Amino acid sequence: MKKMVLIAQKDIAIQLKDRKAFLLLLLMPFLLTAILGFALKGVMEGESLPATVIGVYMEEDPLAREFVENYLQQDLTMLTVKVAATDVELKDWVNQDEVDVGIILPKEWGEQKTPAAILAVSGKESSALFTQQLTDSFAQTAWTMSNSTEKIMTNLAVAASYQDPAIQPGKVQAELLNGMKEVVERKGQYVEVASIGEREVSSMQYYAAAMAAMFLLFNAVRGGKSLHQEQHSATLDRLRMTPTRVDFILGGKFLGTWGLAFGQFIVFMAATHFFLGVDWGESAVQTLFIGLVYSFAVSGLAILIAAFSANEKTADTAGGIMVQVLALLGGSMLPLSAFPEVMRKVALVLPNSWALNSFTSIMNGATWASLGAAALVLLAIGAASIVIGSARMRVSALSGGK
Amino acid sequence: MLTMTNVKKRFGEQEVVKGITLHVGKGEAFGLLGPNGAGKSTTISMICGLVPYDEGDIQVDGLSVSRSPYEIKKKIGVVPQDIALYPTLSALDNLVFWGKMYGLKGREAKARALEVLETVGLVERGKDRIETFSGGMKRRINIGAALLHRPELLIMDEPTVGIDPQSRHHILETVKRLNEQGMTIIYTSHYMEEVEFLCKRIAIMDHGQVIATGSTQELCKRLAGGNQLLLDVEEVRPAFVEKLKQLDGVEKVMIPEASEIHLYIKQDQDMMASIVSMAAKEAVKLRQIKLKEADLETLFLQMTGRSLRD
Ligand SMILES: Nc1ncnc2c1ncn2[C@@H]1O[C@H](COP(=O)(O)OP(=O)(O)O)[C@@H](O)[C@H]1O
Ligand SMILES: [Mg+2]
Repeated sequence: MKKMVLIAQKDIAIQLKDRKAFLLLLLMPFLLTAILGFALKGVMEGESLPATVIGVYMEEDPLAREFVENYLQQDLTMLTVKVAATDVELKDWVNQDEVDVGIILPKEWGEQKTPAAILAVSGKESSALFTQQLTDSFAQTAWTMSNSTEKIMTNLAVAASYQDPAIQPGKVQAELLNGMKEVVERKGQYVEVASIGEREVSSMQYYAAAMAAMFLLFNAVRGGKSLHQEQHSATLDRLRMTPTRVDFILGGKFLGTWGLAFGQFIVFMAATHFFLGVDWGESAVQTLFIGLVYSFAVSGLAILIAAFSANEKTADTAGGIMVQVLALLGGSMLPLSAFPEVMRKVALVLPNSWALNSFTSIMNGATWASLGAAALVLLAIGAASIVIGSARMRVSALSGGK
Repeated sequence: MLTMTNVKKRFGEQEVVKGITLHVGKGEAFGLLGPNGAGKSTTISMICGLVPYDEGDIQVDGLSVSRSPYEIKKKIGVVPQDIALYPTLSALDNLVFWGKMYGLKGREAKARALEVLETVGLVERGKDRIETFSGGMKRRINIGAALLHRPELLIMDEPTVGIDPQSRHHILETVKRLNEQGMTIIYTSHYMEEVEFLCKRIAIMDHGQVIATGSTQELCKRLAGGNQLLLDVEEVRPAFVEKLKQLDGVEKVMIPEASEIHLYIKQDQDMMASIVSMAAKEAVKLRQIKLKEADLETLFLQMTGRSLRD
């Protein structure tokens, strides 16, 4: 048991030293919450985002147009957008300090072929950084959406071979696209109000919950990769040479992922609460409880990912796709109400969807009893993943691998 | 300390270890030699309980590996062939972690880690991350991580691959000292001079079998024509070469270059004098004559038909 804690502590120490991971796991969800929350509602007390004049030059690109005309120029009072006719003009503005930052959106920006160029004004690097994040996250989200849709369709086609007459890929795709269009058209009131409690969930609240549910999933990928890393770098062999049972080594890796995921959740909850004013509901204990069991489920998935991927790279790729698919299907990118009926049913088996629903219902004032089902499902998903994953590892160990 | 009796291991179709029997006494420094793929690492993995063996028995200090794996793991320190450390953690943090994994308590683990840093000569780099270390320094910490729990038996799997001479020297001196302090050592290497420097007894492995065991001298004695005489002459005359071939004790004559003759001779034969006088008789100008004694390298070449370093 003590050894499990040691291994977990070691993993957490390693993770805390990894700045890139830190950015991904903490800053990204925070920024996305801020951006999505703002962009979709546009109303916000306080001044968390700096007042910035953004100069833009764009070549002909539909996504760029969408980004500049709709996304940047909503009622975001702190952002002023000036569109330049040529890139030379934009550069002049930047040089003469007429804008705080310049963005050049190249022709195939929407297809993710060429990245946007950010022109920083000296002394205003923070604006540049902020704008970069804004631009990247928009591109990322747009790309993720179009890609995920495609991937989900492929996945559904596979799922359809399980003989569910209700699922017809073509029809679902059409429904989904319609649903998305509808949501996009309803922009101002992006988030539908859940009617359980007496209060409404604001877009900022919704996206805080959604981003927590989505970004905690990355721990499953990270945890799975970390197991491969130990194997690849021979430290797993070294662990096995110490007087430690294999179950405890795996248990330690699990515990480390669990700790990291839960830690990430706590920090995220605190950061969104204090800096973005997100109201997580009356009961912090309830939210933390769901965070804890959700982290448990995610750590189980980490073992599953490690067991069913051949190496770090496939774990990364497969895990990345899994996160995107789960995030989209689980309502982290668009509220579930935007999806057709069939897809909402799929969400019933997704851990992140249970987590998200629980978070929003706590925001609405949920009773402990009403959270029981979610907690049980999350624990079951975690436990099942551990059992299946470690069984699979044992089988591959016997068949000659390590 | 270590007794292996007819140990076998197969991976799928391939029998990698084909019945090894070995004994290493307490306090010995034992060398395990063999070309790549001979099965050395697999053998080591079986000794430390990482890979189960299919047949036979392995006993460490009287305990069977298959029956008391945890007891045995506490007695053994293994230096794996690859660097098995966490690159983003500091050397000290790595050592403390591995010490604790061997059951050391907090303060004790820290103290031992510092001692081990001293042993491997890297005290002043303790706080630096492993990833900032040179290959040689990583190797030294890799060794250090196996020493924390003061193992009775230290097994080293090619611990000096690809490092600078200075680190190599340091490592060899360290291992020698540990052995002198009573630690039993099993040392695997491609470098003959290391094994000759450290080990009194060696086993040569090839194709999953031990093909010879004994002290270096014993093994070299068994060599047919192990010693060589290297003659440096002004001109190689066929008549002289013929005479040489007929000399008693000469097993083989080779002419690698226009001015060189190599004679493979039986051991304990002193024939330099007779060769010198023969050269004088034949009017061959002998510029130099040198005796090259049989060493592990020749031994190895002869026994496996391969050079150790491929
Ligand atoms: N886990 C494994 N699965 C299958 N074959 C293996 C495994 N480990 C080693 N081998 C094979 O066993 C043989 C001996 O390998 P090894 O013990 O590493 O030799 P050495 O350390 O002497 O170079 C090699 O042919 C290698 O390919
Ligand atoms: Mg080897």
